[in-house]
Amino acid sequence: MLLENGAGEFYCGFVPPEWNERYGGAFWLNRRGPVAGNLHRREDVALVAERAHVRRVPVFVTFNAPYYTPEQQEFLLPVVEKLSSEASIDGVIVSDLGFLVAVRNAIPDLPVHASSVMATLNPGMVEFLESLGARRVIFPRSLGLSDIAELCEAAGGRLETEAFVLNEGCVFEEGYCMTTHRTAGALCVQLPTVPHRFLPLDGGASSAPGSGAPDDARELMGAFRDWVWFQNGCGNSVTAAGIPNGPCGLCAIHALAGTGVTSLKISGRSASAFRKLASLQMVRAILDLVEKGATREEAARKAEALRDTPAFCGARYMCYYPEGR
Amino acid sequence: MEVGISFPFLAVPPTALFRGEAVLSKGLREAAFRGPHEVLVESILRHLPGAAPSRAYVGNETCERLVPSPRALEAWLSSAAAAGWRVSLVLPPLGREAQERALKSLRVLAEAPGAEVVANDWGTVHRARKRFPDLTIVLGRLTHKMLRDPRLAEYFDSPEAPLAARSALCRSGELAPGFRMLMERYGLGRREIDPYLQPIEETEWEDRTERISVHLPHLFVTMGRSCLPGAMHRERGNRFLPDSPCNSECRRHAIEFQLPEPGGSGEGKRLLALGNAIYHAVAPPVAERILALLPAHRSVDRIVLTLPVTKADPL
Repeated sequence: MLLENGAGEFYCGFVPPEWNERYGGAFWLNRRGPVAGNLHRREDVALVAERAHVRRVPVFVTFNAPYYTPEQQEFLLPVVEKLSSEASIDGVIVSDLGFLVAVRNAIPDLPVHASSVMATLNPGMVEFLESLGARRVIFPRSLGLSDIAELCEAAGGRLETEAFVLNEGCVFEEGYCMTTHRTAGALCVQLPTVPHRFLPLDGGASSAPGSGAPDDARELMGAFRDWVWFQNGCGNSVTAAGIPNGPCGLCAIHALAGTGVTSLKISGRSASAFRKLASLQMVRAILDLVEKGATREEAARKAEALRDTPAFCGARYMCYYPEGR
Repeated sequence: MEVGISFPFLAVPPTALFRGEAVLSKGLREAAFRGPHEVLVESILRHLPGAAPSRAYVGNETCERLVPSPRALEAWLSSAAAAGWRVSLVLPPLGREAQERALKSLRVLAEAPGAEVVANDWGTVHRARKRFPDLTIVLGRLTHKMLRDPRLAEYFDSPEAPLAARSALCRSGELAPGFRMLMERYGLGRREIDPYLQPIEETEWEDRTERISVHLPHLFVTMGRSCLPGAMHRERGNRFLPDSPCNSECRRHAIEFQLPEPGGSGEGKRLLALGNAIYHAVAPPVAERILALLPAHRSVDRIVLTLPVTKADPL
């Protein structure tokens, strides 16, 4: 279904049962819970790869927990080796720098993508990852179009590049977030709803707008709540047509194409098949338009028409790239 | 034990400390340091008698707008040298433009005796080492990937958690061979940490070739590229759009959040929005526990105390 609708690449998660036996749900192997959004049998990964390869579409597997202990790396290296040799995957997506080095050393022919969790923010990081043998850099969601263009230039065609285009966001930088959604829920979603107070810092004058003025403070926190809501999929809602609301770069695809970025990421691998399909169809429609020579304005108009949520688009808090509208 | 004082929101050297208005020979007993850190300072002095500040941490670990210019850094270096202190330039994760600015400041820093840069992204480590082969580079605590969610502190010691999971949550990937290779490749002899949720396990902290700096009293939790205090002056619809103008409200205001405990029991946790980051001030007994371990610790030889703190800070 996704192949027939124009997916150019796939990525998926794989959690072997042995991992869950060791860690329960306490330590996730990747950025999804141990059950949702993951395959659990190597044979299933092999089947996905076999079917995708018929259309020459590659399959990448996520090993993108923020870190793995030395013991976990020892456990995972053979898992990656077998996925490579027996399931014919095309590469892995990695967040832990030490594990990236380990995979490169153990399986030099297997492409490794540097996850967005590595927070590649500057050309020095691109150069660093190239020196470690990474094949691709996945940019964090917080980067703007000019940042992406500069980093693609730094990659210079020697590294592939990938940017987010649909579905997931956060007000915090995932590469520098030390919290977990497990057990306690998403901190970003909780913050606007809990009691708070404004505090002066030592030595500071308390004359800034909003200070000591409950109305202004309420208004600021109301705006904060709006921002968090938009970034978290507009409360994980969908339109009447079943189109997922939330972080989006559709109308910036024309500009993204101009940055030189080589792949666009639709996130949400634990989402329903319908949501995945609706997301893919939207991106494919705009990308096809751009590839046929549409202007930036034409592509943006089409994107907003497809979404059909003018109020949400107008708020701009859903935009990955508000400067691209 | 070396003591560093971090000034994350100060643009210029603090008059009281560097122009003789504070009596630096009093060390941590000086009022400028005690202030709201009263209990913490008492605890430090009890466990580390004679501990006195001798290093200024200049710059902010999360906001690239606060990277000191070369001229500002020269002023800090000059004031610190006059007071007999050394300087650590703290850099946040940097975008391209900010990285270029920071590298200009590093040129100034590289000439100063005893100075070092604290880098919080590997791209900056890479570029800094390439351009300044002799500069001391410290790995900042933001690069230290461990779970630091204060909402889950009590769960770490839960007997119901699988043993392997508890062990993994209390450790990082930094003792793995790949990471060790990177430490060696870039000549990194020091790393900064927040060890408050996880016990200081021997294998995680003792088997290291680098020296360790411990931050007090704020545990880093998360950060974003947009800023809650920085949104104060903006119009509602534009408050959190990227690259919006900044009036440095972070220098004057913090916002404290009171989070409930998972399950609804207990007092919950207080989080502090300082600039574009969220911190948690660890409770005095937690700081006390860590400080009690330090005198005999083989790797930790520096603590970093952050100023300013809010007037309502519990410590």
